[in-house]
Amino acid sequence: MTVNFNNRDPVYLQIVRYFKEQIVNGVLEPGEEIPSRRELANRMKVNPNTAQRAYKEMEEQGLIYTEKNHPSKITTDQQVLGNVRNELLVEAVDMFVTSVRSINVPVEELLDLVKEKYKANVDKEA
Amino acid sequence: MIEVKAVEKKYGRKKILKGVSFTAKKGEITCLIGINGVGKTTILNAIMALTPINKGQILIDGKTLDKHTFEKITFIPDAITMLPHMTIAEAMEFMDDFYHCWNQERATELLGFFRLNQSDRISSLSKGNTAKVNLLLGLALDVDYVLMDEPFSGIDMFSREDIANVFTSHLIENRGVIITTHEVGDIEHLIDKVVLLDDGMVSKEFSAEEAREIEGKSVIDVMREVYQR
Repeated sequence: MTVNFNNRDPVYLQIVRYFKEQIVNGVLEPGEEIPSRRELANRMKVNPNTAQRAYKEMEEQGLIYTEKNHPSKITTDQQVLGNVRNELLVEAVDMFVTSVRSINVPVEELLDLVKEKYKANVDKEA
Repeated sequence: MIEVKAVEKKYGRKKILKGVSFTAKKGEITCLIGINGVGKTTILNAIMALTPINKGQILIDGKTLDKHTFEKITFIPDAITMLPHMTIAEAMEFMDDFYHCWNQERATELLGFFRLNQSDRISSLSKGNTAKVNLLLGLALDVDYVLMDEPFSGIDMFSREDIANVFTSHLIENRGVIITTHEVGDIEHLIDKVVLLDDGMVSKEFSAEEAREIEGKSVIDVMREVYQR
């Protein structure tokens, strides 16, 4: 659980983001227990109040839930999980679109290239 | 809460502190930053009433420091104050004799935390391990507030990491910590609040997370603005 935090974004949001990625990548499963706030602060080397704030934010977003006297767990709410996946996907596509826009390529040509590269990438991993 | 209110301090004719005000809350890590000679250590000494102030007031949980409140707070200087021929165990015994609030259980835990050997003599320790013993002796006291003067200064990278781990551990849970430093780089994510000192005054007091969230600035960005204008 090592995260390279940047210095200019709020650390608590970077922690939330990390959890979202772990959920989408399937590293963290629905219903899985997550470390206590103190443990997380310790492992990620962040201020404990910041870890606390990240957990509060995740609770408010419905990403995690905490039953009394139990460790917090990743939500099992499919709608929330779907939204997280969607959020990260749209964000990544937005970034991609922003960076290729300046090259001024017709969208059809771009899509063909994306398909080709995507396939090559999947093949490489397999 | 520690409240430093309009504190002025002169050494001879030279005014070192020209009306310093800031607060440090329990459960938070407050970092006093300033270039060398700006008066960081003087402020810590003033909070501990180790040096008289010329003007202003310092309150700890609403009270001035006296014989009833002095065991609420400890000061960890940047150099060890124990005699060099003492072993770590002897230094711990000395602290136990001297302070009611010495917590032996926590002291033992800190030995493990810092991987120190209590039969080692102070004089035989590396600089990094000396700093750790120094921290151990202060952190093993059951106090609400801990002041640390330059805990990272002149120490190797791995010892720095060990010391930084204190700040994310339960060892400082619910305590108010004030640390001084002139180098904030590797502790930017560990601190709650920053107090920038310049020319005997507080030029800026801010929350590190808020600077990032509201202004999109790192602590170092803010420091640049203040010190390089």
